[in-house]
Amino acid sequence: MNEPHPSPPAASKRRIPVSPPGMADPHQLFDDTSSAQSRGFGAQRGPGGLGYPAAAASPQEAFLADPVSNMAMAYGSSLAAQGKELVDKNIDRFIPVTKLKYYFAVDTMYVGKKLGLLFFPYLHQDWEVQYQQDTPVAPRFDINAPDLYIPAMAFITYILVAGLALGTQDRFSPDLLGLQASSALAWLTLEVLAILLSLYLLTVNTDLTTIDLVAFLGYKYVGMIGGVLMGLLFGKVGYYLVLGWCCVSIFVFMIRTLRLKILAEAAAQGVPVRGARNQLRMYLTMAVAAAQPLLMYWLTFHLVR
Amino acid sequence: MAFTLYSLLQAALLCVNAIAVLHEERFLKNIGWGTDQGIGGFGEEPGIKSQLTNLIRSVRTVMRGKKKNEWNTLKF
Repeated sequence: MNEPHPSPPAASKRRIPVSPPGMADPHQLFDDTSSAQSRGFGAQRGPGGLGYPAAAASPQEAFLADPVSNMAMAYGSSLAAQGKELVDKNIDRFIPVTKLKYYFAVDTMYVGKKLGLLFFPYLHQDWEVQYQQDTPVAPRFDINAPDLYIPAMAFITYILVAGLALGTQDRFSPDLLGLQASSALAWLTLEVLAILLSLYLLTVNTDLTTIDLVAFLGYKYVGMIGGVLMGLLFGKVGYYLVLGWCCVSIFVFMIRTLRLKILAEAAAQGVPVRGARNQLRMYLTMAVAAAQPLLMYWLTFHLVR
Repeated sequence: MAFTLYSLLQAALLCVNAIAVLHEERFLKNIGWGTDQGIGGFGEEPGIKSQLTNLIRSVRTVMRGKKKNEWNTLKF
């Protein structure tokens, strides 16, 4: 195993303990890259490069005693530190990380109650988001606050369930998963753009941010998953029943949530409520809510045969 | 289901281009959507038509950038 190996003897000696493939302990992976014994860039990275501590003691000492590799390791770690600094400085320009953290401040109780609300919004009375000194309260403390955890998880689960459904019908191939994901994301983007355009044209002064919109529009994936799973278990009848129920629930949920965001501004500003303007805003709310069931059906009907 | 992110990008690009090439003098003025025809009212409510004309003018400005003078001399 050593002779035909092109790498230097120190590296090939280290490869011996891990020659059975897939035997690397996952804890080893994390410990090794963060400890001082890490190798930085270079030839040591790779599937065979992690040794068990007992066997790795002497090859590692022999490796570190070599001054050239010492320098190379120091240079590699400083390069990594510089890169990390650069990313940390610039990441806020492209992705608003601090704003995103608010949407992921959830806990299990919130997720459970919100899922219940998505499937059964008829008994909930108070849909107003609570504020705390001008900033909305974190989702952990207020069930009406939008979050991105449920939509993100639901989207990924939808892709997986779509793959499962395709697999049970012998229609599966890996690129179809990517196609499903891309299609669902494209529809989401189109919805967000259409709603933003409508909000601009109707001069609606609302505190509904883009990320809020993405969160609200992502809640429909939960109903889609339910429908497809029931369709897998009970055939077309189960699919239509559960999908119909989820469609009506999402319709009511969206109307009750968006009404507070889009229509409340007119009353809050003290402007006398004129019929035409509020009517257009009501039409917009209805259109957004009606688009949800349509998209839920469009994105799932081809998965259930 | 051939509706992918790339096709959305293509469609968006074509739409923005279509908005950008609407000619101000030959077309928009004739249908009453010129930029000097509607911005009279400074009332509280701009209205959909004035929002649309503003949007068209903004898209045209952004897409045409600094070369506005050359566009005038080309005269398609």
